Amino acid sequence: MEALSCGERRLGSEEEYAAPAVGVSLCDSAPLVWRMQDLRAVRAEGLVGALLGSLPRTPRQNGRLGRPLLLLPEEEGLLRERRAAAALPDRCQDWGGAELRQKHEEEEKRSFEEQSVLALEDRKLALLRAMTGAESGATSADEALRRRLQALDQNFTFPQSAMAVQLSTARAGLSYCPEARAFLQAYGPPGAEPRCDARYQVFRDLRGRGFYLTSAGKFGGDFLVYPGDPLRFHAHFIAVCVSLDESVCLLDVLAVARLGSNVKKTVLLCSPGPDARVCYTSLQWSGMI
Amino acid sequence: MGFSANGKQCLLPEEALYLMECGNLQVFHQDLPLSIQDGYEKFLSANTVSLQQYQVFGHLKRLGYVVLRFDPSSESSSYARQLNLPQSRDRAGRQLKRKRSLSPAPSSTPTMEEDKCSEGEEDIKLPEPPEAQSSADEGGGRSWWMMDVLGDSDKDSGHGSKSGSSCWDFSSISFPDLGSTSREHFPSDLAPPDPSLLPGDLKVGFCDIAPWRQKINLRQVKMSANEQKREKYRRRWDVNKNREVRRCRNWAEYQELMARRKGKREGRPAHLWNREVTPLHDPTQPIKQSHRSLVSLTIKDDLVLCPLRLKDADDWRICFNVYQPNTVADFKKSNPGKPYSRMCVCSFDDPVPDLRAIKLLAYQSGDIPVVIAVVDYGDISFYTFKDFQLPTDVYP
Repeated sequence: MEALSCGERRLGSEEEYAAPAVGVSLCDSAPLVWRMQDLRAVRAEGLVGALLGSLPRTPRQNGRLGRPLLLLPEEEGLLRERRAAAALPDRCQDWGGAELRQKHEEEEKRSFEEQSVLALEDRKLALLRAMTGAESGATSADEALRRRLQALDQNFTFPQSAMAVQLSTARAGLSYCPEARAFLQAYGPPGAEPRCDARYQVFRDLRGRGFYLTSAGKFGGDFLVYPGDPLRFHAHFIAVCVSLDESVCLLDVLAVARLGSNVKKTVLLCSPGPDARVCYTSLQWSGMI
Repeated sequence: MGFSANGKQCLLPEEALYLMECGNLQVFHQDLPLSIQDGYEKFLSANTVSLQQYQVFGHLKRLGYVVLRFDPSSESSSYARQLNLPQSRDRAGRQLKRKRSLSPAPSSTPTMEEDKCSEGEEDIKLPEPPEAQSSADEGGGRSWWMMDVLGDSDKDSGHGSKSGSSCWDFSSISFPDLGSTSREHFPSDLAPPDPSLLPGDLKVGFCDIAPWRQKINLRQVKMSANEQKREKYRRRWDVNKNREVRRCRNWAEYQELMARRKGKREGRPAHLWNREVTPLHDPTQPIKQSHRSLVSLTIKDDLVLCPLRLKDADDWRICFNVYQPNTVADFKKSNPGKPYSRMCVCSFDDPVPDLRAIKLLAYQSGDIPVVIAVVDYGDISFYTFKDFQLPTDVYP
């Protein structure tokens, strides 16, 4: 996926009627975002997510991954709260129907014709290059190439097996369908409340303050907190969510503080309070002087 | 990647999805190509391969490892490993090439049927066709004995042909029964053989059998009624009617069959006694004094030796075998060898495996380290537990 400019803001966010919905589909009960416009919209909301798939241009590397985008449960909850997400239908209604098949065949034929024309041009260019390259050399070879070039128009065939086919990432059927919100089904089970637990409260609060959050399992915390887009900044905090009435063992505090100091991040103990305010405590390892 | 089933090349769902993402495979369903999104939604589920397991699979494949599914039944038990028993490898792996030409797939297309009988050309199609399956390899070069099994041997009457078929049709070859006492089968003389069978200018006339028959003792044997009955049954019993005997292709195999039957009868079957590790007790001998303690043996409830009695460690399951890429070690599908490690997939929401789960995984895996891949919404971390022995000081 190309790097998105983080300054992108969704146009018309004030106008409710024009706000497009992000299509989310479930795979093995995990929310995935597939379409390019949906990914841009999600990023514009300030939600990072995690890319899972292979990058189409360079599939055999793990440095940069491609679509789909996996949403954290908190991100999914936030989208649902803002009524900005909608579930995509499982499969196109008339899968295997004659209309889709016909469309697919027409597209293939069109693509094949385009590619034949391009292939012929490619061959001609290659022969021309070979001719001009052999200018200083024997003229007999030149003549043979010239004759081949002239014969090319008649004899050139582009075999079907050499055609390049495109494998679409998102489901093709839906790109034909309009983007109307009405088309996308209501997201989530009816009457489902966004999660009220500690993690979600902390997430919502920090996102509201403008931070970007990703998951921090390998740092021993709940979230990694970035001051801006993760593509531009390193994380500043490791957020660990504890509820106010829970007693924390001192050894756990020591362990997480050590961890944070080793990776040069500040540990943030976050506790959602009663009145929708969240209490933050930061830990920094310093010498005892 | 891939495996053969019923003579067709098939791919596992995670392998198919990975190849689709790399752009090397197109999967068709009802004549339409599946998109990657369709692939994810159709192939990944909690019953087959979960999304987290596929993430680990894809991550390792992209790094270059060979990742296969783990099959607990194919691992030898620790007892077998202690005894150093030679592992019985799956026979299908070795006979695969021959077997494919024998039995067609039950749902084979008509083209495959006619290919079966033709002299072999290897016909391998690239994975473009429906449902990610390519047509079977029709193995060439059948050996002479397979024609008997296929049942399409040419039965020559009279002669046995040296080329394919090796069956003589004895119903059309006449062997005169000179000892027959019944009048109908009493030939007075033998007809001369076909002149084409005789060498050179040799001419053979009719052969008078009468003087030969005088030399044969044709007197009837006096038998009691019981003996006559037994004789009648014995004449009806034909050793060739036995199926196992018919399967023997030559005299050596028949002798092996006889030896096997004898072993079974006497309680010392060959497959147990002809190996390096023989049973402790010979049933034909009385129990030795040293073995009497075996009678009073009880099995201890030992966590390390028999953790299979713990049934509720279902959450922790080894998913994959990971082999090093071809540059480091030779990998062959028929003989993969020992894997580099075994993968167990979980997420950070799951609890840390307790000692029982770790021991169970280690037991299942044998001597190969188990790596636990923890999936964290896109990030994968690998953890492994190593056994550690505290050093002990030894005083001289």
